[in-house]
Amino acid sequence: MKKLANGQTLKEMFKAGTTWLEKSAPDINAINVFPVPDGDTGTNMLLTMRSATEEASHNADNNASSVAKAMAHGALMGARGNSGVILSQFWRGLAKGLAHNTHFNGSDFATALAEAAQAAYQSIINPVEGTILTVLNDSAKAAEEAAKSDPDNLTLVLEAAVEAARCSVAQTPDLLPVLKAAGVVDAGGQGLYVLLNGALHFLKGKADKIQYWKPSIVVSKSALTLKTIPTSVEMEMPYGYCTNFVLEGQNLDLKKFRKEMAKKGQSLVVTGNGSLVRIHIHSFEPGEILNYATRLGKLHEIKVDNMDDQYNEFLKMQREKLPATDMAVVTIASGEGFFNIFKSLGNVIIVPGGQTMNPSVNQLFQAVESAPSDNVILLPNNKNIILSASQVVSLTQKNLKIIPTRTIPQGITALLAFNYDLNLEENVRIMKRAIGMVRTLEITKAVRKTQLNGLKIKKGKPIAILDDEDLVASGDKVLDVISQALEKAGADMAETITIYYGAEVKADEAENIAEEIRNKYKSEVEVIHGGQPHYKHIMSLE
Amino acid sequence: MVKIVTDSCSDITPQLAEKLGITVVPLYVQFGEQIYRDNVDLTAEEFYHKLAQSKDIPTTSTVTPEIFSQLFSKLAEETKEILTITISHHYSGTYEAALHGKVTVDKDCRIEVIDSQLAIGGQMLLVISATHMAQSGANLDEIAKWVRNAIPRVHVRMTFDTLEYLRKGGRIGKAQAFLGSLLKVNPVLSIKDGDTFPVARPRNRTQANNFLVNFVKGFSHIEALAIEDATTSDELEVLAERIKDTVPPECLYHSKVSPVVGTHVGPHVLAVSILEARH
Repeated sequence: MKKLANGQTLKEMFKAGTTWLEKSAPDINAINVFPVPDGDTGTNMLLTMRSATEEASHNADNNASSVAKAMAHGALMGARGNSGVILSQFWRGLAKGLAHNTHFNGSDFATALAEAAQAAYQSIINPVEGTILTVLNDSAKAAEEAAKSDPDNLTLVLEAAVEAARCSVAQTPDLLPVLKAAGVVDAGGQGLYVLLNGALHFLKGKADKIQYWKPSIVVSKSALTLKTIPTSVEMEMPYGYCTNFVLEGQNLDLKKFRKEMAKKGQSLVVTGNGSLVRIHIHSFEPGEILNYATRLGKLHEIKVDNMDDQYNEFLKMQREKLPATDMAVVTIASGEGFFNIFKSLGNVIIVPGGQTMNPSVNQLFQAVESAPSDNVILLPNNKNIILSASQVVSLTQKNLKIIPTRTIPQGITALLAFNYDLNLEENVRIMKRAIGMVRTLEITKAVRKTQLNGLKIKKGKPIAILDDEDLVASGDKVLDVISQALEKAGADMAETITIYYGAEVKADEAENIAEEIRNKYKSEVEVIHGGQPHYKHIMSLE
Repeated sequence: MVKIVTDSCSDITPQLAEKLGITVVPLYVQFGEQIYRDNVDLTAEEFYHKLAQSKDIPTTSTVTPEIFSQLFSKLAEETKEILTITISHHYSGTYEAALHGKVTVDKDCRIEVIDSQLAIGGQMLLVISATHMAQSGANLDEIAKWVRNAIPRVHVRMTFDTLEYLRKGGRIGKAQAFLGSLLKVNPVLSIKDGDTFPVARPRNRTQANNFLVNFVKGFSHIEALAIEDATTSDELEVLAERIKDTVPPECLYHSKVSPVVGTHVGPHVLAVSILEARH
């Protein structure tokens, strides 16, 4: 029984919690109101926690308050998706609660949990019960009760919190009708329960055992496959000095030389032979590299460029290329086709991400910082990214505006509505209004059997979702589902219908659908490669 | 009385030119071997018909200084003051040609040449107002001063089905930001500081036409308004109906994009030009 814990304990607790979360992530991902393959709450919470524990591991002292503060910072920068942002607020509150504690006992932890619950509620404009918020609140209350009986007993307090969380998760369907209708519990609440439970395992001395245990929620057969987020070319930030030189020597060991150089910088290119080697490397300390090389032979053609200068020159050039407007747009997209579409619409910085791979707050922040203007408009294009995007507003010094686009077609419409004659505020107004003028249909396969909106949905069969909130059609054939969905979406009023076909769809398949639509409606129908994962087709009606 | 001269890129119809006594110098459009004087040897209707039928891609050429020289000399026999308002020098060499033509004129006549920094309806509205001033007795200096001051109050917005014609003809200017879109859009462009600028990208013609209507309605006081099409007169009628409350009927001018301009903008352009009242 631990009575007085320090920062090291806090680190270890949540390291174990993160490990436990990792085991359960696929199961948490599977919890999704719509039977669509984009559940990613488990992954988002896991990646957020990884960022938090990573930051804590760099923390030099074992002071509980400074460890909690580091974890809060790490969680914020790594926050992905709504659940990740709420989790980062949990940490902000916890850090606030432990702000004056070098050590903490059960009572201190209960107080911190209460702060965490409060912070999480405050971060949401319209808090909804039956979600992670309720679970957090319930467990904080239980912790407070337990602390009254034995204030020093951290294990007892956390045990109470975990048990309360478990009961609370089980009750979420009673509080939130959409969960009940879909027959699922809240995924974020589940994630929090798992996280706290993992921390409890550590306090009970079982941290080294949990790797052999099965996760404590519904068992999933699928292995955890973490979605990696590719870094986009657009976001690559040059840094330091670009260093080029030719080394002339005798019997140079190229292999060893390359290995040594690789430690000193990035983007290393070494070519040549044992007597003449050409080197290109990016480094913050070019002097060190040149020092090392002079020991091996003579240096020629030394050229060192400050890449920050080059980058600023590049930004200046970019700015001059733009017409008389000093605004930049950052957008989130997934799928090669969508990257190309956004690129074709002008100077847009693209952060790869979207369904099943929400970019972190930090990635969005970096993209905003790299934008060639102090006025930046951000298009999240996903309801699960809007909240992370809004966290960036307080992180950046730039004048950042978020247009709350929930789908990629909304993002495209907002971007096209951009008016070069108007200033930032007027454009924000126009872009927000434009979102309302497009309807989005997403066609995918049901990942499980369910019943929603009076529709019986069979696993593996096509379904259609309107404006990312209503399941409007299901059936056996894609074409029928699209046909039903178009009717519900008011296709007879649409002048332009665009079909963005996904990664697994062939062009002629999409063209056939277009032909069907042309036969039925007077709209212009455009077919274009979106290349998105999971969704066979994303359609927009304008 | 001051004599007003302009070029055919102002899209002033021959009827209006005759009625107001404006001298319109035609530029040239060439189909294969055949050269036509803009709106003289070839009407807009004939041109767009030819454009659709002919395999040849038309080219255009500007007026020579000599033609201006001859014209000015001839006009100098009946007037002491000539004001020439040309298309923007970014689009055509007409302004330079007029300047060079002017210095060779050996007559007792003051000739002023102004680069309108505009084209089409925008240029037209300046020319019409200048003519009205001349008719009511204003002198060359007064009119020239008025025109120079009025240029920033002229607003031109054009909608396109494609920017290919502008791109091929090298008149795309800053609107090249709109090139290369993978989505079909109907871009709206403006003419500002004598060059083409991007404005907005409606997704279809309906939205583009709505943009024009809203643009016109956004002004509190319009002194004169010119609207023009190339081959879609029915659309222009609808547009005229929708904006008829913004300006008295005698201040609304209908026109067609001339063959020379049409070569560079294509057959599906719709444009509004506004002379905004002084605040």
